[in-house]
Amino acid sequence: MLKIVTDSLSDITSGLAGELGISVVPVYVRFGEKVYRDRVEITTEEFYRRLTHEATLPTTTQPTPSDFAEVYNKLAKETNEILVVTLSSKLSGTYQSAVHAKEMVEGDVRIEVIDSQTVVMGLGVIVISVARAAQAGASLEEAVALVHGAKPRSHAIMSFDTLKYLAKGGRIGRAQGLLGSMLSVKPILTIKDGEISPVTRVRSRAAGIDYLYNFVAGFPRIEELAVEHATTPDEAAALVERLGALYPKEKIHPANVSPVIGTYVGPHVLSVSVLAAP
Amino acid sequence: MRQVDSIGGRDLRDMFAAATGWLEKSAPEIDALNVFPVPDGDTGTNMMLTMRSCIEEAYRAPDNSVSAVADYMARGALIGARGNSGVILSQFWRGLAKGMAHKDTLDLSDLVLAFKEAAIMARNGLTNPVEGTIITVASDIAAAVSENGYSGQGQNVVTLMKDVVSAAGASVARTPSLLPVLREAGVVDAGGQGLYTIMEGAMRHLAGEMKEYEFKKPQIIVGDILTRLPKTLSVADEEAYGYCTELVIVGKGLDQKKIRKRLEKKGQSLIVVGDDERVRIHIHSLDPGSVIHYATAHLGTLHQVSIRNMDEQHLDFMEMQKERLPAGDIGIVAVVAGDGLADVFTSLGVSAIVTGGQTMNPSTKDILQAVEHVASDNIIILPNNKNIVATAEQVQTLTNKRVAVIPTKAVPQGVAALLAFDYEANFDSNLELMTRAIGQVKSIEIVRASRAAKIGGWEIKKKQPMGFVDGDLVAVADKLDEVLFKVLSLVETGQASVLPIYYGEGIEQEEAERVSAAVREQYPHLEVEVVRGGQPHYSYLVSVE
Repeated sequence: MLKIVTDSLSDITSGLAGELGISVVPVYVRFGEKVYRDRVEITTEEFYRRLTHEATLPTTTQPTPSDFAEVYNKLAKETNEILVVTLSSKLSGTYQSAVHAKEMVEGDVRIEVIDSQTVVMGLGVIVISVARAAQAGASLEEAVALVHGAKPRSHAIMSFDTLKYLAKGGRIGRAQGLLGSMLSVKPILTIKDGEISPVTRVRSRAAGIDYLYNFVAGFPRIEELAVEHATTPDEAAALVERLGALYPKEKIHPANVSPVIGTYVGPHVLSVSVLAAP
Repeated sequence: MRQVDSIGGRDLRDMFAAATGWLEKSAPEIDALNVFPVPDGDTGTNMMLTMRSCIEEAYRAPDNSVSAVADYMARGALIGARGNSGVILSQFWRGLAKGMAHKDTLDLSDLVLAFKEAAIMARNGLTNPVEGTIITVASDIAAAVSENGYSGQGQNVVTLMKDVVSAAGASVARTPSLLPVLREAGVVDAGGQGLYTIMEGAMRHLAGEMKEYEFKKPQIIVGDILTRLPKTLSVADEEAYGYCTELVIVGKGLDQKKIRKRLEKKGQSLIVVGDDERVRIHIHSLDPGSVIHYATAHLGTLHQVSIRNMDEQHLDFMEMQKERLPAGDIGIVAVVAGDGLADVFTSLGVSAIVTGGQTMNPSTKDILQAVEHVASDNIIILPNNKNIVATAEQVQTLTNKRVAVIPTKAVPQGVAALLAFDYEANFDSNLELMTRAIGQVKSIEIVRASRAAKIGGWEIKKKQPMGFVDGDLVAVADKLDEVLFKVLSLVETGQASVLPIYYGEGIEQEEAERVSAAVREQYPHLEVEVVRGGQPHYSYLVSVE
């Protein structure tokens, strides 16, 4: 059976990964000289606690090719088809590592690596969708076509409090226009063409949450839906409750926003990812 | 971290070869930092090409002594220098080479001296050194390393280079606060950024970290003050740019002072650098022929002559600027009076501000000029005053650009419309979103009567404060804050969450704070913001959002 691999910045929880047979390769999170494997050696809570309390900003580093090769070789014992879907190659070198790792695999196994051009549950929902297809017996070719078809249907949008982290990290890009506002504004960002890109800004946190709700309400049919937070579980729970009016709330995937996004947007991010039905 | 106690010629060459590769990765981003309307703009590319020539020559050095290699590198930088920044960079190299003269290898104190000479030489090449540019960064590097002294334990070349990089980074971040043109464009100095990137590349190579950075790109530094888009684009800036003319003269007994003097009248941005046998000239001239003629007739042979039409470069630059606009090639022009309000609007992404308001309505021509100067073909105008809406609408018939006017009748409506701008949406959707947003705010204006009058049952004395809501007079009282509270009591605030108060020209900050504190007390559910608007006429502009 086809096996699905992704990286930890898909935000797929270990429970869901186990249920759908997804292998998750952790990225590395670095605070100064100390390096941790994302969500293996450092929890999301610990990451955000240190993000807010420490002077040096953390950085994230892609998994090495051998990290991927280890997973490929392990899976090669049970399958001869592997599909790897990584976060946007514009945000991390993870895709390159996953590709290089193909050369380090022995035996008769076909491996395809796809750059999802998105991240967080925007990547997560694509992986969930293809993992379900794999469980239903899809071939590697079918799964590759499915991922390419799902990429334009995946939408991730996030609301957060401050552009401080974005500015400090020097990774503003197209969001530059949102910087340095004299009024207090809450930015809304999305992932576009593989990069973090501004959508608009609202005047209050409540308006930001309304924006996320209305964004979901704009889709006529939804295949997968995820709600993520970094440090505000109550807010996320309240949003899930509200979204229950649009989509069965027990099917909404809860998740924690990955550290790579955390380093961009800080601790008060709330994010919604939609995989629109085809 | 690797420990390096001294560096030889080969190390020097390899460090900066790696740095050149590192710079190459971000050359396009550095090019994009250039400030309108600087004409010869490809700073990143120019510095990268200068460094390449520098490295090529390094391989020709007769021996592996650091002085020989540095000498050849400086020569390579000089003959290969491109653009303003490249020429200054070549001077920087000349200084480094001077500081490294007669040395086989370099220890820490030699490096400190080399950076000092480099900073001095970079500055000397310019007739009018401007702070907030590459020369400031060079000086800050020199100051940082000479302050440290490097006599203590654990100090080595790697730690010194790390200090160089962090001093350069901090210095680049400060460039917008030194140079207003950078501040207004919302960027850091491109040449300074280039020098930082070169030093970072050299340091990473020396520290053995390059492998780790294989898939990464150099970071563009973010300025340490508020970044903003261009405030007002003035038509007066439009002058002929002419030709960017660069050449190397090889001759005997060349006198740089004399050459500089002769060329000064022939153009702008003149740089003359080199020695008595080899001089590089960079000048922006309307008549490059006369420069060439002077050089061939009086000085020597010409090499690496380059003459580029800067008006063409300027057009390319305008094209490139489009990428930095909010999105989808939409520019926003706002009519605003008061420097504080102008800041508010620029901070929210307006491309150009036309000064005007209640007491001074701008002409159609004023608005048209702003529209034409924004590097975008699709323009949204926010008139922010009911008397200016019609004027703004006239612009549509006078330009080839696609222009739409959102009929904002007051500043709070303009801010609301601007906040609703959606970067993902197209022109028409944005018009709809922005127009809809106008209806979601109430605009309160508190103003003193300019004369005694009777309006709709109110008898108003001269200078008496009056309160308007969306243009209708609703309250009159003897004190400004009294009117404000009366007005607020008449407005539905239950649904609102934010209440910015923009205080005008004649109001002290303390007074505005006091009034705002009182509002906060009475309306605890509202987030009250106090912002200096600096607008004439209106004592307070208040937005109920």
